Amino acid sequence: MTKELRTMLTIENLQVSVEGKPILKGLSLRVEAGQVHAIMGPNGSGKSTLAHVLAGREGYEVTGGSVRFGDEDLLALEPEERAHAGLFLAMQYPVEIPGVANMYFLRQAINAIRKARGQDEIPAAEFMRKVREQARLLGIGEELLKRDLNAGFSGGEKKRNEILQMALLEPRLCILDETDSGLDIDALRTVADGVNRLRSPERAFLVITHYQRLLDYIVPDVVHVMADGRIQRTGGPELARELEERGYEGLLGTKLAA
Amino acid sequence: MLAVKRTRRLDPDPAFATAFRELAPRLPGSASEPLARIREEGFARFLALGIPTQRDEAWKFINVARIANRPMRPAAPTELPLDRMLPYLLGGPRARRLVFVDGRLQPQWSHTGGLPEGVIVESLARAAETRPLALAEALGELDDGRSFTALNTAFADGGAWIELPAGLALEAPLQLLFVTTGGEVPVMSHPRCILRLGDGASLTLLETHVGLGEGAALTNAVLQITLGSGARLEHDRIELPAAQGSLLAKIDGALGAGARYRQTTVVLGGALVRNEHELRIDGSGAECLLSGVAVPEAGEQSDTLVRIHHRAGGSHSDQYFKHVVEDRGHAAFAGKIIVHPGAQKTNAYQKCDNLLLGDDGEVDTKPELEIYADDVKCSHGATCGELDTVALFYLRSRGLALEAARAILIHAFAAEVIARLADPTARALAETKLVERLGGGLGSALVETVLGEAA
Repeated sequence: MTKELRTMLTIENLQVSVEGKPILKGLSLRVEAGQVHAIMGPNGSGKSTLAHVLAGREGYEVTGGSVRFGDEDLLALEPEERAHAGLFLAMQYPVEIPGVANMYFLRQAINAIRKARGQDEIPAAEFMRKVREQARLLGIGEELLKRDLNAGFSGGEKKRNEILQMALLEPRLCILDETDSGLDIDALRTVADGVNRLRSPERAFLVITHYQRLLDYIVPDVVHVMADGRIQRTGGPELARELEERGYEGLLGTKLAA
Repeated sequence: MLAVKRTRRLDPDPAFATAFRELAPRLPGSASEPLARIREEGFARFLALGIPTQRDEAWKFINVARIANRPMRPAAPTELPLDRMLPYLLGGPRARRLVFVDGRLQPQWSHTGGLPEGVIVESLARAAETRPLALAEALGELDDGRSFTALNTAFADGGAWIELPAGLALEAPLQLLFVTTGGEVPVMSHPRCILRLGDGASLTLLETHVGLGEGAALTNAVLQITLGSGARLEHDRIELPAAQGSLLAKIDGALGAGARYRQTTVVLGGALVRNEHELRIDGSGAECLLSGVAVPEAGEQSDTLVRIHHRAGGSHSDQYFKHVVEDRGHAAFAGKIIVHPGAQKTNAYQKCDNLLLGDDGEVDTKPELEIYADDVKCSHGATCGELDTVALFYLRSRGLALEAARAILIHAFAAEVIARLADPTARALAETKLVERLGGGLGSALVETVLGEAA
């Protein structure tokens, strides 16, 4: 049986500068629907820059190349339009927003996306049911839902809350930016289980991580090793294990790993 | 010397004298000689004090003469339909209230029946009949050197006399609703309220100022508060003047030992809204907590002046004011804490946080501390910033449009003060009006959620 591959994300020769300094120096990547791609790399390799540029954060200057999401020019879209199109970034440092109730925010976000897709607002009862169900699966207590968005949440609670949003907003492309950082082993497993539940033939994942450990739980189809603003090597899950054994220096050489 | 003094005040527009001559015989209590004399004296003091200019330190940030020194008249009687009044009737089904339109009591909306014995809630006009001497004394005893207080004493039309005997806690909230309609010639009204809580008495007072007309209007309100030992007053104020409406409000208060005064003011709208407070803590263990939020948009000004006197030790005061200033809006805050000699173990704090969102907006803050005791804790602070761009991005990345994301963040900033309103119906009105003002398509869902959380 052959699996039909549908291209979800196509990045070609992407070049990005921050305050005039080149960070991404010609990055190319292609993600098909249903796939999980892992991007690994040493600190400063440009991993988080890639995540932010894809989500449309300010402060990054695209100096060359292109990004297509489905059949749209992703870089021409506002951040909210990218979300409407089905892109979701689980952030490395989710923002604390005191005064905005978590539940209210979740409902506004779901309805904004439904509206953009021509759907009616989610009925209150259905919303509550979905939130409670997903929260339970992710080990998020009722109390956390009632609090203000990420305000005073521990690192692990913030990451769980990101995955909760991801589950509720039902994106086509999920980007996880160092979601494993700051998680203990139990939280890591819960978060990974949350991600694995969302894996489907219609959905793709870009998992950005520094360590191989997350990939024991979220097993990728493709692994890329990034350094100096480019993808240096691409392989299967075995590449992550090779990296674990040899380290970035062993795999890439002293110059690129620095 | 004379020339310098001159610039601190302007001669009042001659129309004030004309109006006073014309109106004096018809004002509440005109038949009572002592009251008539107090009014005459008030008007003479107003003429002598003149209209303050920006050279006067207390009026440094705003040009009040532009609004208040022009020909104005009392409004003609207006009938307002129920559906226009209904949103502003606060306090739930058990509330008592006095409703005034352009300074005239509206008996059809007012309700003061069934109050416990000893409680007095009556309009100023009624008080002028039942207790003319006491009223004359109350009007006369407030001599704060402020011209608009003197003007109010001269013209006092609407307003109320409220008194709770010692030990009485009034469960039902009491609302004072002042509506102005405005006219082609600016209309003026001068509500004067006297509020006295006996030792250990407690009250929730909902004070609402609403502009329901297109025309220009000036409300010049004065409220005198006396709290006995251990008395408690929750004071929610919602000020919603129309675009051409202005409000000058002065609160003069005295707190006895162990009294608690908690006031929260929400200002949404108005060409000029000036809230002045002069509060004296006369006994130990008293608490005075003032909070406020104003959201001036294009052409609107909100100015707050606070003076808290700690005249007895061991008391606590806290001022917390927030402003959101949109394009060409202007917010000003000047707060002064005076710790008098011997008022040891005083805790007095003051904070003013501002969101300045337009290139042409203006924020002024002026903290002042005068401390004549050595064992006290006092602090002040002010901040001024824009919306957090990272938070904006976070919300947008979840699908919220820029306008909605902005509105959510502004709302979050202002909501902290709105949450301090003691009465849930006051919170609901403030929430509704704030969300209306912010736009961004937040609609009723936000109000529901916020109030749902609170409930």
